[in-house]
Amino acid sequence: MRLKRLFILGLTGIALLTLSACASVAAWERGYLAKPQMAIDPNPLQHHIQLHNYFSREAAASTHSADGGGGCGCY
Amino acid sequence: MGLKQEKPLQGRVSVVCLNSPQHRHSRTQTRLSQPVDTASKALKALTSAAIVLPGLMLSSAQAADDGGRINFQFSRYQEGTRNLFGAPNNFDPIRADVLHGNGLFPLTDRAKFSFNYTQDTWSGATPITTSPLAANPYQLIRANTPSGTTVVGASPLIFPRGLLLDRDLNPLRNNSEGVLAQDTRSVLVLASASPETRHQANFGLGYEWDEAAINASAGFSLENDYRSSFGNLGGRLDFNQKLTTVKFGAGYTSSNISAILDHDASPYLTKTAFDRQIERRGGSEILHGERQDWSANLGLTQVLNKQALVDANFGYTHSQGFLENPYKAMTVIFVDPDILNNGQTTPVPGDVRALLEQRPGQRNQFAFNTKYIQHINLLDAALHLDYKFTADDWGIKTHTFDASWVQPLPFGWMFTPRIRYYSQDSASFYNPYLISQQNFSRQAFDSFGREVWVDSLNPATEYFRDANFNLVDGAGNPVNEATLLVEPKTVAFDPGLLPGNFSSDHRLAGFGALSGGFTLSRQFAKGIALEAGFEYYTRASGFKLGGGGGNGFADFDYYVANAALKLNLESMSPSNPLGITLHGHHRSHVKDDGSSDHHRHNQPAGLMYAHMLDKPGQFMVGYRFMYSRQDGRMHHGAHAVSDQTVVDQGCNDEILCRFTPTYMNMRMHMLDLMYAPTRWLNLMVMPTFMDMDMNLRELDGRPPRVPGVHEHTGIVGHSTGVIGDTLMAALLKLYQKRGHRLHASLGLSAPSGKTDIELRRIFQIDGGAIHFGMQLGSGTWDFVPSLTYTGEYDRWSWGAQVSGAKRMEKQNDSGYRLGDAFQATTWGGIDLSRWLSATVRGVYTVQDRIHGDFNTFNARIGPMDFPRNYGGEFWNIGVGVNVNIPGGRFVGNHLGFEWLQPVHTDVNGFQLSPKGALAASWSYTF
Repeated sequence: MRLKRLFILGLTGIALLTLSACASVAAWERGYLAKPQMAIDPNPLQHHIQLHNYFSREAAASTHSADGGGGCGCY
Repeated sequence: MGLKQEKPLQGRVSVVCLNSPQHRHSRTQTRLSQPVDTASKALKALTSAAIVLPGLMLSSAQAADDGGRINFQFSRYQEGTRNLFGAPNNFDPIRADVLHGNGLFPLTDRAKFSFNYTQDTWSGATPITTSPLAANPYQLIRANTPSGTTVVGASPLIFPRGLLLDRDLNPLRNNSEGVLAQDTRSVLVLASASPETRHQANFGLGYEWDEAAINASAGFSLENDYRSSFGNLGGRLDFNQKLTTVKFGAGYTSSNISAILDHDASPYLTKTAFDRQIERRGGSEILHGERQDWSANLGLTQVLNKQALVDANFGYTHSQGFLENPYKAMTVIFVDPDILNNGQTTPVPGDVRALLEQRPGQRNQFAFNTKYIQHINLLDAALHLDYKFTADDWGIKTHTFDASWVQPLPFGWMFTPRIRYYSQDSASFYNPYLISQQNFSRQAFDSFGREVWVDSLNPATEYFRDANFNLVDGAGNPVNEATLLVEPKTVAFDPGLLPGNFSSDHRLAGFGALSGGFTLSRQFAKGIALEAGFEYYTRASGFKLGGGGGNGFADFDYYVANAALKLNLESMSPSNPLGITLHGHHRSHVKDDGSSDHHRHNQPAGLMYAHMLDKPGQFMVGYRFMYSRQDGRMHHGAHAVSDQTVVDQGCNDEILCRFTPTYMNMRMHMLDLMYAPTRWLNLMVMPTFMDMDMNLRELDGRPPRVPGVHEHTGIVGHSTGVIGDTLMAALLKLYQKRGHRLHASLGLSAPSGKTDIELRRIFQIDGGAIHFGMQLGSGTWDFVPSLTYTGEYDRWSWGAQVSGAKRMEKQNDSGYRLGDAFQATTWGGIDLSRWLSATVRGVYTVQDRIHGDFNTFNARIGPMDFPRNYGGEFWNIGVGVNVNIPGGRFVGNHLGFEWLQPVHTDVNGFQLSPKGALAASWSYTF
């Protein structure tokens, strides 16, 4: 469970870092952030396909595995 | 809808700081397509923006959207050929066609319903195991041609004979000079698969508060051999004036595996480790397993400044149960230790066997990814940088680096190039193949050193040989050997001398991969967007971080191309917000000349070309689904017939039938796109996607098997999919008077569906072209005209249509053409309420038999392989309902359902009789 500890530490570290690094952005200053190109996933449809292909061709775990499904990918 | 209008929005899309990406996307699009200059609109936007929440991305990539969203997508995955090191490679590489639709509908301002449907059909050759090249795991397939015998391909051997090893257990192979020399190369052993289809559907509900959201979804994934059901719960909390968002989710998946082992490979597979999980039924061996996956994730999105944000996610998955791939085997080379240690230097024979792979019964996976997104002022673009690290207790660590540049362009275009690098370590139990210093099986001896013999029909009793080689029992009494089937008793290898887990699945090997691609999308008016994407991926053992993975034999590449239609229902304001149904009741819309602006959209759902748009500039986007089934007894003409009749008469004079279909299902998905350039002309395009499945049985009284001739074996059916023919039509209004209308449609069907789908080759036996009825299109350009009359008065509506299909070519590329078809139908309908109507109709269809025949090999095993057993006369009664949403949130939507019940059928030749068809349609006019 060394890995697990490492991950939690990493996550907390990044959380603290980002929290401390961020400036306050007022509501009327968020125009850029609201643009479609700034979306965390700007092309969700294609991303969906990519993830399915990677899932059936690679052994990496997912950070969104709570989605479920995906089938066997046995080919 | 270009960038010009976007500028004033900046600073006004204020509260939507940390929205989910989709959400921001859609809201911005919404604003682009609607003027936002009035105070009430701005207030409404602000209010709705405030309740908009991020984080639905957990459950569905397309989740959040205020006004509703529907997406259709098609994608093709195509692999390149694998390297077989000189063996003739006649294997089709893997191809998967994926159809994907999803939608999100607001139930209230805060509650949403979403659905996702995915259907993928794949076929091609996939590795079953890895073998030393020196074992020659491919056997040449030769065919007689006019110029003599030629090699047409190779069939895989998972039990090749004659491998020799040196004393250090390196494989030996004749080199170019014919000298036996060390050759340590490995090669994938490929096995072809006939097409298979998977269906997945899931449904979700979400609820949003001002600074939080929760969503739940559940669904299932169905394949012949693999069934999963899953559920998940997720949510989001906003803090710090929405500069910080915490996302969380948990999910559970339960899967049932019933893998039908390859009938032809199975006799050569060693399955002893799974004996208790294998069921034998109908000539097939079915490997059963269960698996559970629990997963959880936790994420954080943080706005760093006005132009940058970071997103980090942590995921954990625990899996347990049957984690193997039931179709993968490990090649184990058994070496006799007595020969190996006999003190000589001559080559040692290796006994090459394939054992079903054995993976650990559980797996714990951890994943962490972080993404940084920076707005680039100069180009108004965004740079996305993503890194992911994962590790699991199988020893696999992975690194993924991903960068993309999202560039908006004028006229609503968006271009996103992308590059990705991936590297993974090998699983601790991965090996291309194993060598075990023991015999696969050996003679059994008892405690006195005597050879043990058994009766193969009753192996529990042991026998021995006396000094004269006569059979005796345990007490030394002579036994009459003539009454028994005696054979030497053998002892199988000791699994304890093999590793506890082993797999040669190259996905568990160490390798790297480089991929790149782009997405191009364009936003059109009225909330319609088109998207296309392409990605090229190349896997190479040598790309692995920190040195090569040593499995270059498994390298391959693939490309993926996709195209999508995206509809934002909020932006698609219906030009006729009251809906068409209203006009049945509100005659005030009828003009002075007696013509009405609109006619009602309440024609039966199974009817095509029956509805026209009325206003110039109007669009209609629709989806049609059709399901039909045939099963039961075989019919000849209008009557059921016995198996013996089918055997004798169902095929032809030279060939007796051996098999007959037990059922056939067909599902069609059609995208219905219509545009009205003028009042009297409508243009229509209809891409069709379909999948079919069929099963066969042996006929009673069939002729005996002949070696080398294709046989359908086991309980596996066939399936095919997914691109069908594409319809294009022009609809012309010919006559219109109060309550009456006549229109014609001139249609053309383009042969985009395949007609050369083949059953897989089974070792030396060619499967040949799959049955006519399982091919996906006509293969010819077809003329599809129709003439439709519709009438309406008060609550009543009625109509009649004649339509036909005329093949415009003598034959398709496969050598045949489908029969021409004619259909006549008439119906009546009544409005049951303001939004609901019911229809009843009669349908008569006649279709000619197929002309010509396959110009490639076709196994001709049953009636479905003969052209004369297609077409016929069909009388159906249809009962349907139509729902037109006249107002409110879903205004402009139309839904229709119809069931078609066969009342009389007179088939050409020998066929299954139709059991009915379901048609469902949805359309949205705007």
